[in-house]
Amino acid sequence: MGSAVFVGFQKILVAFDASPHAERALDVALSMAADMNAKLFVVAVIRPPEPAESAEFNAVLEDGRERFERSFAPVRERAKLKGIELETEIAVGHPAEQIIHKADTIQASLIVMGKRSHTILHRWMLGSNSERVLKYASCPVMIVH
Amino acid sequence: MMNTWALSALWVGLALAATLLAIWFKISTALSEIVVGTVAQLVIGAFLAPGGLLGNTQWIAFLAGTGAIVLTFLAGAELDPVIFKTKWREASVIGLAGFFGPFFGCAAIAHYVLHWAMMPSWLCGVALSTTSVAVVYAVMLELGFNVTEYGKSILAACFINDLGTVIALGLIFSPFTFKTLIFVVVSIAVFAALPFLTPWFFRKYGGRVSELEAKYILFFLFAMGGLALWAGSEAVLPAYMIGMVLAGTVGKDHSLIRRLRTLTFGLLTPFYFIRAGSFVSVPAIVAAPLTLLVLFLAKSTFKAAVVYPAVRLHRYEGNSGAYYTLMMSTGLTFGTISALFGLNHQIITQAQYSYLVGTVIASAVIPTIIANSFFLPRHLLPHAQTSKKTEQSVQRPVAAEES
Repeated sequence: MGSAVFVGFQKILVAFDASPHAERALDVALSMAADMNAKLFVVAVIRPPEPAESAEFNAVLEDGRERFERSFAPVRERAKLKGIELETEIAVGHPAEQIIHKADTIQASLIVMGKRSHTILHRWMLGSNSERVLKYASCPVMIVH
Repeated sequence: MMNTWALSALWVGLALAATLLAIWFKISTALSEIVVGTVAQLVIGAFLAPGGLLGNTQWIAFLAGTGAIVLTFLAGAELDPVIFKTKWREASVIGLAGFFGPFFGCAAIAHYVLHWAMMPSWLCGVALSTTSVAVVYAVMLELGFNVTEYGKSILAACFINDLGTVIALGLIFSPFTFKTLIFVVVSIAVFAALPFLTPWFFRKYGGRVSELEAKYILFFLFAMGGLALWAGSEAVLPAYMIGMVLAGTVGKDHSLIRRLRTLTFGLLTPFYFIRAGSFVSVPAIVAAPLTLLVLFLAKSTFKAAVVYPAVRLHRYEGNSGAYYTLMMSTGLTFGTISALFGLNHQIITQAQYSYLVGTVIASAVIPTIIANSFFLPRHLLPHAQTSKKTEQSVQRPVAAEES
């Protein structure tokens, strides 16, 4: 038996919420994908308000879909310029759960995501998505500060 | 006495604060506004002005009432007629079970256990019979099952459930006079004509800056609401029905729905939900928390007891356990509308109103808190037993073995 040789990540999943942190994570992922000739998956998650109320819920969905579709346009351009194969998706639900689900579905070899700074209260009430992804993901996770 | 603009500033300021809280804590604006209304009434009433938020001021009541009517219309307009046509049989069985179970069950518990009088008990049944379509839809989208046959049935069932609530609210407390008959006949005629009249009217005169479409819809909502009140019924009943009959036409006009939402969320619903919250008596809830617990348990138990067999009846197994529980949550909109109707018509006392709104909030919030506090990566659960193996294999997902 010989030792394993790391040949690079073939499928890189970027969690994208159009924030500056996510933009930084996307920059890193684009560079890595170009260097390693990897396929790039970008997933954006719309988190519905809880408990959802019908009119508000549908408004949030529509608004989120439009916002992320707009954000994806420059990402597609940049990927095209670098010759990277790109797939985008807008999911709905708990961000950490949807990111992990997408990673499992596509058998991602790496998840890249930005880290947001939250207050203690926010972390206690809602937790941190990056921490949850780190805890439950079944592939390597890169957190970009 | 505060002048109109100062009072407006107070209410809109509270709405702004509620929206910020909703953004920070990722909760629905409706919930945030109810809670802010309750707290503001308590604090302002105790320390600043005896009248508190002055929720019974006529113009506040008008804006709040309009908010409830338009919100109900929008909820009805979100019905998918195609799904409904294909799934109406199952949807009717499950939806009616979801309505009648908690309706009779909670009414009985209120009457025999809490010793409420007959009419308050019926109102309790109505308020706790609702189901939030959005909660179901949200979870279905989250799980990726919104396109399955089963998911569609449940979604349609929720509409039937809420329709039961709205009809019960509109008719149970109605005096059933000649006026009621006129209201029913006119309603049927209007509901039958609107799906044909509306698209023609919008095609001919719509698409202008003067927002003819919004005025047209508001006219019918107000006119039918006025007729309902004249007949001793409730204005949200025709509003929901108009929404449902226009779901296939107006409901598909995203631009119009969006403009109506701007009007609704920007101005109307904050007044509705803050006002609904301001009538909640915290001292009453603190004095008898067991009442709230009894109502919450009654609502959950009766909903589960009838929805589950109805779901099994249609031979939905496997994921059915996960799905039917989605119908357990109470809709904030219809729950509070029913309770507020009872309070306004002096069917229930302020203490009973407080228990009902408290139960509505609890049944909407508790499942959410549990889900968030004990974050379960649902998609990973089926792989739990193989997690170690998976972990090992993904350590080197692209590793090449040297021979």
